[in-house]
Amino acid sequence: METYGQVSPQEAAAALETAQRSRARVAWSGYPWWYWVATGAGLGVMAYAVALPGWWVLAFAAVVAPALYAVARAAGRARGVCEGWTGAMTPRDTAVLYGPEILLMLADAPVSEHVWWSSIAVAVLVSAMFAGTGLARGARAARCS
Amino acid sequence: MTTSRDTEHGTAPAVDGFDHLIHAPARLRICAALDPVREIEFGTLQTLLGISKSPLSKHISVLADAGYVTQRRAVRDTRQRVWVRLTDAGRAAYRGHVAALQQIVGSTRT
Repeated sequence: METYGQVSPQEAAAALETAQRSRARVAWSGYPWWYWVATGAGLGVMAYAVALPGWWVLAFAAVVAPALYAVARAAGRARGVCEGWTGAMTPRDTAVLYGPEILLMLADAPVSEHVWWSSIAVAVLVSAMFAGTGLARGARAARCS
Repeated sequence: MTTSRDTEHGTAPAVDGFDHLIHAPARLRICAALDPVREIEFGTLQTLLGISKSPLSKHISVLADAGYVTQRRAVRDTRQRVWVRLTDAGRAAYRGHVAALQQIVGSTRT
């Protein structure tokens, strides 16, 4: 079998998998539970706000965005990880975490004009989905060593 | 890409960027954890990687001696803690090593 110095392709593949698991643990695990719940609630509020008319979206964003930033900073301090601007999540992780919520909000846009309560339902769903995904993926990453 | 580094084992693999110092499993995990973030507190790194204090400390010393990581002391929750981060050279070496591993794996598929 062809090898490179002392490293076979199988060993290289195993090493890459190990590195990937370590990165996933940093991306997902160690967050305090309140980070997922509070951020989910903030996103839920924004999901509701986008259905409101005019400047309401900006007014909500002006309050919610700094609050989300403060929550993220506090969570980073609590878990002992300073992520910087890029974060540890891969584009795939980000899609898993935010993708369903964005699709839900897009699907709600035409519906909310006819059904008054749909934006409220979507806000609750967005909160629950974000918090649920974060908590579940965090627990899963913590289990994989 | 960085050049191959002839270290501990005294062998130089044929793939550019392959780094024996980083390739040790624990050190690879440490670098993989540090690469996507700015810095991680020592105790958190211990918990995240499931490595006990003494071996983790030794591996970080090896990486620090090579200029791949730096450590700084700072207060967190009213206690002095050690924060660990990859240097630019360490990040470049780690990414070069990962690229080398991908090249090795890819060579079997082509």
